[in-house]
Order: sequence, then structure tokens, then C-alpha cells
Amino acid sequence: MLTRRVFIQTSAFAAAAAQSGQPKRIAIIATIYRYLSHGQHMGDRFLVGYPYAGAWQKPNIKVVSLYVDQKPDGDLSGERAREFDFHVYPTIAETLRCGGSKLAVDGVLVIGEHGNYPRNEKGQVLYPRYEFFEQCVKVFEQDGRAVPVYNDKHLSYSFEKAKAMVDTSRRLRFPMLAGSSIPVTWRLPSIELPLGCDIESAVMVGEGGSDAMDFHALEGLQCMVERRRGGETGVKAVQLLQGDAVWKAMDEGRYAKDLLTAALSRSDTPLGLTEADGRTQDLVASGELQKLVQKPAAYFIEYRDGLKATMLMLDGAIKDFNFAARLKGSPRIWSTQFLLTPEPNVTYSACLMHKAAQMFETGLSPYPVERTLLVSGILESCLTSKIKDHARLETPHLDVIYKAPKESQFART
Amino acid sequence: MSNSTRPKIAAVVTTYFKYSHAQHIVDRFLDGYGWNGTHHYPPMDLVSLYVDQIGRTDLSKERASRHPAMKMCTTIAEALTLGGDKLAVDGVVLVGEHGNYPRNEKGQTKYPRYEFFEQIVKVFRSSGRSVPLFSDKHLSWNWEWARKMYDTSRELHFPFMAGSSLPVTWRTPSVEMPLGARISEALCVCYGGVDSYDFHGLETIQCMVERRHGGETGVEWVQAYRGDKFWDALREGVWPRALMDAALTRSHTLTPARPGFNHVFPSDADMRRLVKDPVAYRYQHADGLKCTMLLLAGLVKDFNFAAYVNGGRDPWSTQMYLPMPDGRTTLADFFSPQMNNVEQMFLTGKAAYPIERTLLTTGLTAAGVESLYLGQKRFETPHLAIRYQPTKESTYWRT
Repeated sequence: MLTRRVFIQTSAFAAAAAQSGQPKRIAIIATIYRYLSHGQHMGDRFLVGYPYAGAWQKPNIKVVSLYVDQKPDGDLSGERAREFDFHVYPTIAETLRCGGSKLAVDGVLVIGEHGNYPRNEKGQVLYPRYEFFEQCVKVFEQDGRAVPVYNDKHLSYSFEKAKAMVDTSRRLRFPMLAGSSIPVTWRLPSIELPLGCDIESAVMVGEGGSDAMDFHALEGLQCMVERRRGGETGVKAVQLLQGDAVWKAMDEGRYAKDLLTAALSRSDTPLGLTEADGRTQDLVASGELQKLVQKPAAYFIEYRDGLKATMLMLDGAIKDFNFAARLKGSPRIWSTQFLLTPEPNVTYSACLMHKAAQMFETGLSPYPVERTLLVSGILESCLTSKIKDHARLETPHLDVIYKAPKESQFART
Repeated sequence: MSNSTRPKIAAVVTTYFKYSHAQHIVDRFLDGYGWNGTHHYPPMDLVSLYVDQIGRTDLSKERASRHPAMKMCTTIAEALTLGGDKLAVDGVVLVGEHGNYPRNEKGQTKYPRYEFFEQIVKVFRSSGRSVPLFSDKHLSWNWEWARKMYDTSRELHFPFMAGSSLPVTWRTPSVEMPLGARISEALCVCYGGVDSYDFHGLETIQCMVERRHGGETGVEWVQAYRGDKFWDALREGVWPRALMDAALTRSHTLTPARPGFNHVFPSDADMRRLVKDPVAYRYQHADGLKCTMLLLAGLVKDFNFAAYVNGGRDPWSTQMYLPMPDGRTTLADFFSPQMNNVEQMFLTGKAAYPIERTLLTTGLTAAGVESLYLGQKRFETPHLAIRYQPTKESTYWRT
């Protein structure tokens, strides 16, 4: 069990290096490095810079080595290595040691997204994030030194593995950051739930299928509700419903229609009649929602402190990610869109890599990795519910306790 | 509010097809829109619609069949009188954008906004009563006509709003120019063509700089640059390069300058390759402020603002964010804050922001076109000595 503890930790090495003007040396460990893969658009931020806060940022960070697990058609790893003067190594250990005998980097960027990996019976892609991480940690342990690690998206498809990763980072005292861009991108409107608020209920809507986009939607939800009074205390039970059961649950009041309406009111991408002739739509009141979404899914999350939240995957109705909540003592519904800016710039990934850069430069994680640990576990348990006849599952293992950062971390400057 | 007390609104539009301005605007009165976390229906009734050109892709008939309370009218006078002999509505929406209208030798599309306005005002005069009017985009392609529209609204004392959705849409980041700020230079990087999106770029700048110390004082001259002269001006530093760079860092749509890269900052050579027809309007206000509007089609697809504010050395910048239904979204929701402000005018009888802003940007658009037409010569604008004060309250979308 994770105990309540300060999530910000500083490795001695990172603190010492921060005092010198030398660039931080980082290694990139990626499944693939192809145009518009996460590896490319996140890794490139450290090669060509990125926009943040009204300036083109060039952090004092140098990519010194790269490992790519697969080299599909369009692989850019060799080209990048030649242009930006680093090496692509055949193993993770060599990458972290830059071909030498000791750990030779100040930080590791692990991008285990995209590439050709099998799926399990729950529909989870078995990306080798845990395996990559373990190989990094093996070097840390052998060489007697650990450095900050950024892990893209959820920690692992398996909560057990994810928890082992976080436990290891605590044991070896290195800062760790993970997750989605959704918590750190622009919001429309630019709002944050007040720290310590009482949340009565929350609804998140997203689209794009499992298990890729449902993770993003769940992190969007989590980065909002973690700010409630008492902080995050973990999840007691989850359930995933599909098909007509999703609409039946709405009619039964298991999630609030007005919160769903509020979340959808923030969408700029209603489909159906809007695509046909441009009209605006109240998808809930008109009943169009049920017509448009052929395969709805509802992820029900019961937190240990009593909060109930629902994440709805509404493929066919919208193409964006929106949140709504009702707070005690607040007459209005709080709602916002997490702005996923367009391809190819995907400026939201610049927002995320700025956080990773901050961690590499300061040795401090700007927000708790426990958020992503909990979401990794929520997702896995929801997908287990899916294959267990959509049963409600108790989740005593999800007793993940943490505090939200006081400072807002989303793009607003 | 009972039905009888709900304001009655007439809409007078050039054409009504999918993603035309009329469709975005009139649909919001008929079908509502997302606002403040709910699906909001304006507390007023759109009772009549005049469409100047009903083409093959027309949607007005479909809208009328779903909303039988909206009467399709064959003349503007009928839309305003509802078939009677006197003005019978409480507000008018004029949308003179899109449709087949001729262009003149300067490249201006001669949308009949002034002509529509004149017909509306004729009903006001003959009825001895005027009601609030919203006119979409710039007042007219013709400065003299625009000025006459403004003067008529003052003569007849009716609330008058106009302009672009740029001043009222989301901003990333969500920031407002401090009221009374000292601004030495301001700039907008945007896209589109002359006598079209240039107007949006000019409104982007104007809604910010009008908040400066002393308020708006008018514009003395405009100088346009295009093609080779644009690149010469860029090289010579006619406008502050740091502001242009800051504006570019606010873009979410920088065209990748190199294959295989999704997001790199463009060099001058990249820009020359990507931007086939660059245009700049540089102009000076009466109080000395200098502004530059840059149309960089091919490089960006959004509207980005930067300025030097209160003596700060670092540029102050934001993006006026348009959720554009060109593949990025399906709904042009930037019309929502614009219509919400117009609704406020219909409900309160007060314009939500000053018409003088759009009078000035109308004149600036025409002056930019004129400067280009005169061979990119500096065009003196004594007629743009337009002074006004901004609203204290922000009117852009932030809730």
C-alpha cells in the first residue's frame, strides 16, 4: 500500500547538477520514432525546441542517446541521430550508458506508445513500458545512481507493474513523471476547480476507443477531481457498462443528465446533423446522442471518500474531451473543454514536454506520479469489468493516496 | 418572461448555406448554442428571415420548415414589418457575408451591407422608430458608405454593433490587455486574403490596443507591403521581429517547414518558401502607436497577437482561438460569444462594445486595400481620426 508522502523528491545527483551551467544530458527510450508517433513529436521537442508561455523554448537539455524498440517504415531515428549528433544504441543499458560502462545521462524520457505490440483479452495494448523501466532501473542499481524518469501515458497496462514502477522510484529516490497531455493542455474556459472543493458529482466525455483514448479521458477526469477536499484517497470500486445499459444508467440517474449536457455544451465537434448541415445541437435533449453513438461505454468510478464520477466514451457523437462537475455550494455547473490542438503541431505535447523538461532541470516532479498510477489502475479494472460481464468490481488495491499540486499545471500563460 | 414580451428579431442575410456566416449566426437564434455550461436558447424569437440569394445549397427553407415561427420574407421591408405597414420587430441582424457578388478593380467584394442597411433604415424612418442593429463583419467595403451607416445610427439613436468574432472568442492564454496600458507596438500574425481576413486581423489588434492609455485616437496613415516589398520590409525590420516571433509561438497551426518534423520554428527562408502571397498593413495611430497586421497564408491558420506593453522588454502575447470547422472542428463556436453579445444588446438596448471599433477597422481595411492599389504607397488617413473609449469590462469568451 502506498502511504501518504511527499511526492516531490530530489535525487542528490539532480540537485548537484542543477547548480552547474552544463546542459542536462537525456536518453530517449521509445517504442518507435516515426513521423507523428509520440516518440517523434515528444522527443523532437528536445531537439528543435517548442513553444511555451509565448516563447520558443530551448531548454538547456541535450539528447545524447536513443533506443528504439522497433524500426518500422518511416523510422527517423538514424536521421535524427546524424543531424543532432547523438547515437542510437541497440540496448537500453547501452543507451543509458552512452556506450560506456556507467550511467551517462541525467534523465530518461520513456515513450512507450505506438508500434506493433499484441493486445490482451481486455483490449489493452501490451506496450513494454514496465519492461523498459525495469531495464533503466537495472542500470541505476548496477551503477549506484538514479536519474529522473518521464514515462509517457499510463505507467503500464497492469496496475501491479505500474505500482512496482512507482515503488521502485520511491526506493531509489528518483523523480518520476507520467501521464497524458490532457491535464496540462489549454482549457476552454481556462478554469481550475478550487483546491479543497466539495464535489457532488463529475462527468467526463471523450472518444477514440480503448485502450488509448479512454486513458486520456480518465486522466482528464482525475486531474480535476483530485483537487477535492481531503485530496485523493483512492478508488473503492469500478464498473464498465456498454451498449443500451449506458443510456439506461442515465435514465436511472446514475450519472446526471445536466452534467452530461454541460460537458457536451463545451464540445466544438458534435457530429451527425452538425456535420450534415452545420447546425448547433443539444445532443442530450434532442435524443440525437443515442442515435449517434453506436457503441457507448460508461466507466463508473466510486472513490473511497464517497465521490462518484463517470467517464463516457461517446464515439460517433463528438471528437473532443470535456468535463463537468457539480460542487457543493456553487449554483452553476463547472465545465470545460481540454483543448487538444490540431495535428501536426499538437502543441499540447509541448505543454507536456515542458513539464518533463522542468523535472529534468530541477529534479522536482511538477505533479504527482500517483495520479497516473491511480488512473492506470482504474483503466485496468474497468477493462476487467468489461470482460467480466460488466460486473461492479471492488478495487481494494486502488488505495492510492496523494495530494494535488497547489499550483495549477495546465497551460494558461 | 411570457412569449409576448420576448424580443422579436428579423434577420437579413445574403445567403444561407452550410458554414456560411448566416447559417452560423441565425442558427444560434433558432437552435441555441453551448454557453456557460448549458445549451442556451436566446430569450427572443427570430420571427423573419430575408435571404438575398437562395442557391442550390440553401438551408433557409429547411430551417423555416423546422421553425415555423420564422417567416421567410421576399423583401427586407417585409422582414422588418412582418407584412404590416410599420416596423414590427425589436432588433435586426444583418449578415452580408458569402454569396455571389461582384468584385471591383481593387479586389473588394461588393457585399450589399450598405444597401441592406439603407433599406432597414428606410423602415425605421417611415415607422418613426428604430431598433438595435447588428451588422456582421466590416460595415462596408466602401469607406464613405461605412461612415454614413455610422452617422445614420447616431442620427436615429439606435444601438449599433458590428464586427468580427475575433475580439470576443476564446484566447489561449485567456488574458486581457490591462485597461490604460502603455503600448508602443502591436502586431497580429494571421492568414487569409485581402478584403477578407485582413479585417479579422485588424479587429484582433484593435480590440486590444483600444484599451491603451487615453483610449483610441484614430489612425494617421496606412502602408501596405506585399510580395517582394514584404520580404524587403521583413529584412529591414520595418516591424519588430521579436513581436512577430512571439506571435508565431502562440500559433497552434505552424506549417512544418521541414519534412519529417511536425513543429519547427520557421527560418526566413522557410517563410519565403511557404508564404506565396505575404501581406502587411503597417499603420500609425494619432498618439504614436504603431501596429502591423501580417497575412501569412501558408504558414499559419490562426490569429495571434503580440505587443510591447508597459515598457516590458518581453512581448505580451496571446492567440484569439477560433475552433474552425475546416476539419479541425465541426462547429464554428466563435460565433457563440459574438451572438451572446448581440443578444445582450437586444435585451438591454445597449451595444456591448463600441461600433467605433468596427468603423475604424472598416476604414483600415479599405485603407490597406487602397495602399496596395496605389502600388504599396503610404496612404494618409485623415478621415480615420476616430476617437473612442473601450468598455471597462472584458467582452471576450472566458466563462
